[in-house]
Amino acid sequence: MNLALPIREYRTAIILSALGIGLVIAVVLSLTIGAVSIPVADVAIIMLQKVGLFQNIAVDSMHEVVLSTIRIPRIIMTILIGAALGVSGAALQGLFRNPLVEPSLIGVSGGSAAAVVLMIVFGGVVIQADGWMYTILLPVLAFAGGLTATFTVLRLSNQTGRTNIAVLVLTGVAINALAGAVIGLAIFYADENQLRTFTFWTLGDLGGASWDKLMIASPLLILSSVGLIFFSPTLNALALGEAEAYHVGVDVEYTKRIVIFLSALAVGVSVSLAGMIGFIGLIVPHVIRVSFYADNRLVLPGSIIGGALLLVLSDIVARTVVSPSELPIGVVTALIGAPFFIGLLMNAKRKNEL
Amino acid sequence: MYQASNISFRVRDKIILRDINLNIEPGAFTAIVGPNGAGKSTLLKVMAHEHTHYHGDVTINGKAARSYSAKELAWVRAVLPQTTTVQFTFTVEQIVMLGRHGHKATQKENAAILEEVMTLTGTDHFRERNYLTLSGGEKQRVQLARVLAQVWEETVYPRYILLDEPTSSLDIAQQQLIFSLAKQVCERNIGVMAIIHDLNQAVQFADHLYFLRGGKIIAFGGAQQVFTKSNIEETFCCRVNVYHDPCNNCPYIIPERTVQQPLSISSKV
Repeated sequence: MNLALPIREYRTAIILSALGIGLVIAVVLSLTIGAVSIPVADVAIIMLQKVGLFQNIAVDSMHEVVLSTIRIPRIIMTILIGAALGVSGAALQGLFRNPLVEPSLIGVSGGSAAAVVLMIVFGGVVIQADGWMYTILLPVLAFAGGLTATFTVLRLSNQTGRTNIAVLVLTGVAINALAGAVIGLAIFYADENQLRTFTFWTLGDLGGASWDKLMIASPLLILSSVGLIFFSPTLNALALGEAEAYHVGVDVEYTKRIVIFLSALAVGVSVSLAGMIGFIGLIVPHVIRVSFYADNRLVLPGSIIGGALLLVLSDIVARTVVSPSELPIGVVTALIGAPFFIGLLMNAKRKNEL
Repeated sequence: MYQASNISFRVRDKIILRDINLNIEPGAFTAIVGPNGAGKSTLLKVMAHEHTHYHGDVTINGKAARSYSAKELAWVRAVLPQTTTVQFTFTVEQIVMLGRHGHKATQKENAAILEEVMTLTGTDHFRERNYLTLSGGEKQRVQLARVLAQVWEETVYPRYILLDEPTSSLDIAQQQLIFSLAKQVCERNIGVMAIIHDLNQAVQFADHLYFLRGGKIIAFGGAQQVFTKSNIEETFCCRVNVYHDPCNNCPYIIPERTVQQPLSISSKV
């Protein structure tokens, strides 16, 4: 009879491994595909040479350059952003006990977008799509704007030392509306060129990846994503309700603060690197829950791998369908994710599992 | 011993509890009865240290509740609410396992505890079911199993469970079952405090009985001794007759069918 538990532990490990294998395949596929197509064998050898193996095998030097300066930084950024968006969505849904929550609810994306559009339109400088302004200044502004909005939301929803979740959700809505108004106002004053820059920024772009950016961003993304995983058991307890979670030994206020902070960090850094990539934070945790089960010890790590997987796949599509040009990544995540998600929902509805 | 001494609690200007002294003894069943709005649930929340801005002292096993961390509190006391709504689809077993959240125990120890409490509460045969699909009675038994799992380990210090009208939406068989189980676990050096609506049930299961009205304790003592016509009438403002049931060797009450002024809507309001 005692077997029931170990089997569940196994089940989580099996599902996560399967997702992990899927991610590895997608990553290899993504590295081979592009304007220059590189054979799988070359990809493997070049990767192994990076860690000091097979140094004596000669490979096409152009392949090596394409991989190490363009594709590898891009794939690392894609994985980290997908993971960060997925896990912060899962964590916030668990924290708010609400399946409709997505990271934008705490104001991060709205704040980022407002800061960016203000800079583009009223910054007094012309921002070129490939100039240093676009690659350095906008990310920093996006990050600052996102965190400012989140802290405003948190501060306003503070009620005698406790974060009132109902107030927090409503303030989030209000702050997002305010950000929307600021964006609308800026767009009203924007000229053609500014409008285009901003529109593309909101659709997301993974093309700006570079080792320099990764040096700064990856520690933050890894720290916040992995940090959130440690809250999985606590978020399970929170599914009972805040009071009940406290009764079983959860320090509820501490959990709320840290989870919101880590999520804002993850999403803020993501938005600053690649613009707004919607949808992943909302859908990926649901896909894991509907396909498997709702235990957060599966849902959070599963959303890390699943978020990365969805974004890597979307990136492959974005880079190939209109090659040599690129589709905006945000469009593709929704195009791939939405029908898949609807299919899962219909299936779950038939089986009466929702 | 789980003690509340000189507890007062107010929300803005409204005094909810005044000068409450209450003891929960390990190994005994303490029941609290009183009319709606008497402050019973608030008292339970103060005892559970969920409300923290009270005056007076709550001590658990000789140590002030304020000095316990959330986790340390979870080691000594568990709380069963009236109803628990669970978001997302968890299995019965996962819910019961949440009772072990604050404990540092091996998976094997947890599995053994899970087995015992699920067998005791009769929830073991639907352990893999989705909690959301259970009936009200089954749900409450699962929650009781979770609460028991939290304080099941035999420790040197006594543990306590606080029940907040745990049977308010259950049929009589399920009600009796929940209280019988609570009574039964007292043997494990666990003290039980329960808010109970049904006076006959209260006197049937409780060792100690507290009458609460308007935030004050009207009477307390050994259940059968204080279960008197005058105490009940004073607490509930309702005429009752107390009889003795020879089968259970226990008193019981029947409220009097009072003929008041004919009910008319205007005078009632």
